[in-house]
Amino acid sequence: MQPYELTLADAAQQIRARRLSPVELVDSVLDRIDQVDPHVGAYVAVTAEQARGAAREAEQEAARGVFRGPLHGVPVALKDLIDVAGSATSASSRVRAGHRAAADSTVAARLRAAGSVLVGKTHTHEFAYGLTTPQTGNAWDRGRVAGGSSGGSAVAVAAGAATFALGTDTGGSIRVPAALNGVVGFKPTYGLVPRHGVTSLSWSLDHVGPVTRTVEDAALVLTVLAGHDPRDPAALDTPAVDYRPEPEPDLTGVRVGVPRNYYFDHVDAEVETTVRRGIAQLETLGARLVEIDIPMTRYIQATQWGLMVPEATAYHEGTLRTVPELYQADVRILLEAGELMGAGDYLRAQRSRTLMREEWARVLEKVDVIAAPAVPMTAVKAGQDSVTWSDGTVESVSDAYVRLSSPANITGVPALSVPVGHDTAGLPIGMQLLGRPLGERQLLRVGHAYERTQSARPLAPTA
Amino acid sequence: MPSAELTPPEAARWAARAGLPLPDDRHAAVAATADHIHSVVAVLRELDFGDTPPASAYRAGKEKHDAAV
Repeated sequence: MQPYELTLADAAQQIRARRLSPVELVDSVLDRIDQVDPHVGAYVAVTAEQARGAAREAEQEAARGVFRGPLHGVPVALKDLIDVAGSATSASSRVRAGHRAAADSTVAARLRAAGSVLVGKTHTHEFAYGLTTPQTGNAWDRGRVAGGSSGGSAVAVAAGAATFALGTDTGGSIRVPAALNGVVGFKPTYGLVPRHGVTSLSWSLDHVGPVTRTVEDAALVLTVLAGHDPRDPAALDTPAVDYRPEPEPDLTGVRVGVPRNYYFDHVDAEVETTVRRGIAQLETLGARLVEIDIPMTRYIQATQWGLMVPEATAYHEGTLRTVPELYQADVRILLEAGELMGAGDYLRAQRSRTLMREEWARVLEKVDVIAAPAVPMTAVKAGQDSVTWSDGTVESVSDAYVRLSSPANITGVPALSVPVGHDTAGLPIGMQLLGRPLGERQLLRVGHAYERTQSARPLAPTA
Repeated sequence: MPSAELTPPEAARWAARAGLPLPDDRHAAVAATADHIHSVVAVLRELDFGDTPPASAYRAGKEKHDAAV
C-alpha cells in the first residue's frame, strides 16, 4: 500500500509510531496529484514546495518526539473559498483574479496548528453557487459530474490526491460531492465550526466541514476544527469535545428514524435499495428502526431559496455592479434575479425556518438519528440539466441534488454522508445520517459502527 | 399566477430601483429567472406564522454564550 492510500487515522498511527515520515506521506500525495489531477481537475493550485517545507518541519518535530496530534504531518486540501494567508482564494472565479488573503481563516489556522500540511486549494462551483463543479470530473467516471459545490475536495480525497479535505455546505455542498465520489462528508451543527475567513454564499446557511475517507477520519478532523471564535457571529460557545468514536461502538437501543415521506420520494431505485440495505445493517447492529414523518416538506425548497438567494446577491452586491461579465452565466443570472426578491419573501423564509426548526426538534425527540439517502441519484453525465422521474416529473439536476440536503442547512442539524455501495454503473451511493443539534458524537458513532461492518473502500479508479 | 409574472421591462425597472442597471440583453432572462424564484418562494405565503419571529437573531453583546442552533 502506498502512503497516499492511507486513511488519516492509519497515517496518523504510522507517523506516531515513526514507521512513516510526514515527508514520505506528503511526497506520495504530491506524486499522486501529478498522476491524477490532469485527468480530474480537482485542484485550483497545488502548493508543492510549501507542502514539502511543512512536511520537513513536521518530520523534524516527530524526530524530537513532538506530535501535535493525529493531523501531524497529514496532507490536506482546502476548498478554494477558505483563506490561507498569502494565497489567493479564487472561489474558482475570474472575479477573484489577483486576490490574496491577508490572514488564515480560523479553520486553516487550526489545521496548521494541528500540524496538517496544506497541499493545495480545490475547485468549487463558482462561489459555491451550484451543485456540479464543472471544472472537475467525477473520480469514478470523469465524464460525470463531481457534484458540488465542494467537488474538488471530494474528488481529491476519493482519488488519493489528498488524505483529507475541507469543504463548505450551504445546501448540500459537502454531502453531495462526497456521496457522488464515494467518500465521507460531514456538515456539522450550524455554528460549531467557525467560518471566519471563509467566503460566504449565504451567511445563515453556510457551514464548514471535513471530507474524508472514513467516518473516524471525519471525527479526527472535527475535533480540531470545532470551537468558538467570536469573529464568526454564528459561532457557538460550546465545550471542547473529542469526537473520536469508540473502537467498537454498540448501537443497542439507538433509535434510527426512517422517513416515511420526502427522503425516499423521487429517488432512483438503486439508490433506495442500497440505502435501505445500509439502514437494515444499522438494525443488525442493535439499532431500533422507527418510522417518522418529515414535517413541512412543502416549504423546504421555498425556505432554502428564500434565505439563500437574497443573501448570495447581497454578498456579491459590489462586484455584480462593477464586473458582472466576469461571473459564469449560471451564477450571474441567479445573482441578478436575486436583486428582485423583496424583504417580505426573505422574512417569510426566516419565519418558516423558525417553524421548521421547532417541528424538527419534535421529530428528534422520538429518534436519535435519521437515516436517509444523501442524494436521490448517482452522478449524472456532465452537461445533463434535468432528470425525469418514473412518474414523468422533470426536475433540474441542481434541485434534485439539493433536495435531500437542504433540510439540514435550514434546521442547522448535523448531517453525515457515508458511502454505502455502488449502482450497476459502478457509481457511488451515499447514505445520509442526520442528528440532533450538537449531536455530532452520536452521529459519528452510528456512522462509524456502520463502516466497521464493511470492508475497506478502495480509492476511486482514477487515471 | 400570470398577473404576477414580470415583463422584461419590469424586471429592468425593478433591478434599476435596486441599484443594478441591467443591459438590454439581460432583461428577458432576468425576468424569467426572477419569476421562477418567485414561484418557488411564494408558497411560503400559505403559512400562518402567527407570532413566529424570524430565525435571524441579534444580540446586543459582542459575544454570545448560548448554544442555540
